[in-house]
Amino acid sequence: MPQTLKTATKRKSRGESMLLRYLVLGSWAACCLLPILWFLTIAFRPRTEIITPSPIYWPSFSLDAWHLLMSDWPIAQYMRNSFFAVSGSVIIDLALAIPAAYALSRYEFKGREDIGFYILSTRMMAPAIVAVPIFFLFRSMGLLDTVWALMLVYAAINLSLVTWIIRSYMLDIPKELEDAARTDGAGDLRILWEIIVPACLPGIITAAVIATIFAINEFLFTLLIASTSKAYTMSVALANFTGGSDGVIYNAIALVSFLAFAPILILVILIQKHLSRGLTMGAVKG
Amino acid sequence: MAAIAPAHRTGGVAQAAPNRAPRRRSPALRKAFPYLLVAPALLYLMAITLYPGAFAIYQSLFVVTFKGWDWAGIDNYTRLLGDREFWAALGNTAVIGGISLVLQTVIAMTMAYFSYRDPMIKGWRIVFLMPMLFMPSAVAFIWKLGFNDGRVISDILLGLGIVSKNVDWLGSIWLARLTLIVADVWQWTPFLFIIFVAALQGQDQEIEEAARLDGASWPAIFWNISLPMMRPIIVVAITLRGIDITTMFTNVYIMTQGSPGGATETMSFFIYRQGFRMFNFGYASAASVLMLVMTVVIAQTVVKRAFHSGKK
Repeated sequence: MPQTLKTATKRKSRGESMLLRYLVLGSWAACCLLPILWFLTIAFRPRTEIITPSPIYWPSFSLDAWHLLMSDWPIAQYMRNSFFAVSGSVIIDLALAIPAAYALSRYEFKGREDIGFYILSTRMMAPAIVAVPIFFLFRSMGLLDTVWALMLVYAAINLSLVTWIIRSYMLDIPKELEDAARTDGAGDLRILWEIIVPACLPGIITAAVIATIFAINEFLFTLLIASTSKAYTMSVALANFTGGSDGVIYNAIALVSFLAFAPILILVILIQKHLSRGLTMGAVKG
Repeated sequence: MAAIAPAHRTGGVAQAAPNRAPRRRSPALRKAFPYLLVAPALLYLMAITLYPGAFAIYQSLFVVTFKGWDWAGIDNYTRLLGDREFWAALGNTAVIGGISLVLQTVIAMTMAYFSYRDPMIKGWRIVFLMPMLFMPSAVAFIWKLGFNDGRVISDILLGLGIVSKNVDWLGSIWLARLTLIVADVWQWTPFLFIIFVAALQGQDQEIEEAARLDGASWPAIFWNISLPMMRPIIVVAITLRGIDITTMFTNVYIMTQGSPGGATETMSFFIYRQGFRMFNFGYASAASVLMLVMTVVIAQTVVKRAFHSGKK
């Protein structure tokens, strides 16, 4: 309350700087939004009005892209691949990260700091560094061009992030909560499952959402692993929307990108309050 | 027996527990318990990082063809160190990444400082985040269309009278780099923005208020009070973003393919091209190993420090 009052009085005394502020913020908002809105018009215009000598700003409406996706591209298959690979990877991540985060946040043991930092440091590895070995690894396992390989890779990419986010939220849980359960004779695993996990549920959901976004977006590994529509995800299928001599089929690309954008937007609105904490792996308390 | 009490709890309540807890594990198991909890995650990560790392080092000592692997010793490395394209890729990564990072930081900080206290902006903050939520491959196509195929940006610049004819964005080294920078800044400034907003909101408002009452101007307050207080978080955010920028691949793959003349080829694209276009797997692995060494050095110095200061 006093915060709003303060802001209100300040606002009156600083009319001009406020105008400048909104001008700057407004133009930045336009920079963020206009390319997206423009791309939305691309999704609903005929192909003849996309690549033209000079751009067409008021195109005619068409569902060409939709019909093309339905007839020429197994879009449902791509979405299913994305869905299975991503949700499978998030489940693997949570199953591995929750116990690890519990140990890292609740126990004193030798090497704890080093193990924690090793987990964090895997986040810094450029995908390109491990691309060749991972390709050979999956080839020898016969997993190339499968959703399973994508699932395993996505899980590996996000595991460090998920562990650190959950660890950060577990550190916030007051110790008294477990102590009470411990006096009642509850074992460590029961405490983890019945007390710690429910108490840090926001952290777990935040971690899952951020892992989902990164997994949906993943490009390089998917490009190497998937070679047919058996394993193409939406992210990589986009790059293949070319009609040979016709060039890139932008309206189909735009349409698919909005199909992926919509669920991500909803997920992020749900965890908006936790976003900055999640993105910094817990370093910022949002 | 005191040994049964959980090692990390010394509070009075916990110490009373052992008497009432009959099913307790042996001390040895108790000691091993945290290790058992982290083991699955740790093994998984080792399998997917240490194993490939070792594999890359091994493979980098061979010339790999479809017929087989021929021992090459350190030939791949000596060739790499004399390869102009390798050094160019390293330089391009640093230049494109460095400029993008500086621009993102400045824009994000300005926007965050202008908006963090504003209740009106708060509800609309999601607008500023949208670019980040778009699939990177789709973002690359937005800008490929905007710059090259659809000529929208040229058209806007023509309309504003900034240029006099259509710009050939892939025709010059710096213009091609600029398209990559614009795409990266557009997509990832929101990442820094949302973190900076949280950092600004988390700072102690009283100090700022006191300075304002003393008549300090807002730039002075920002430089002397807000910025130093936010330093640990800024370091963490920039470190995370900096790491991601050095791995830039998707935009290069979709927008420029390294052209013109390799001026936009990043390290990641160099490794990809050597490995999966030219099938010089041994050579690509050698480049991976050198990049890995750089990553480990950076991780051990900058990142470790960043996260330690960030936590406290």
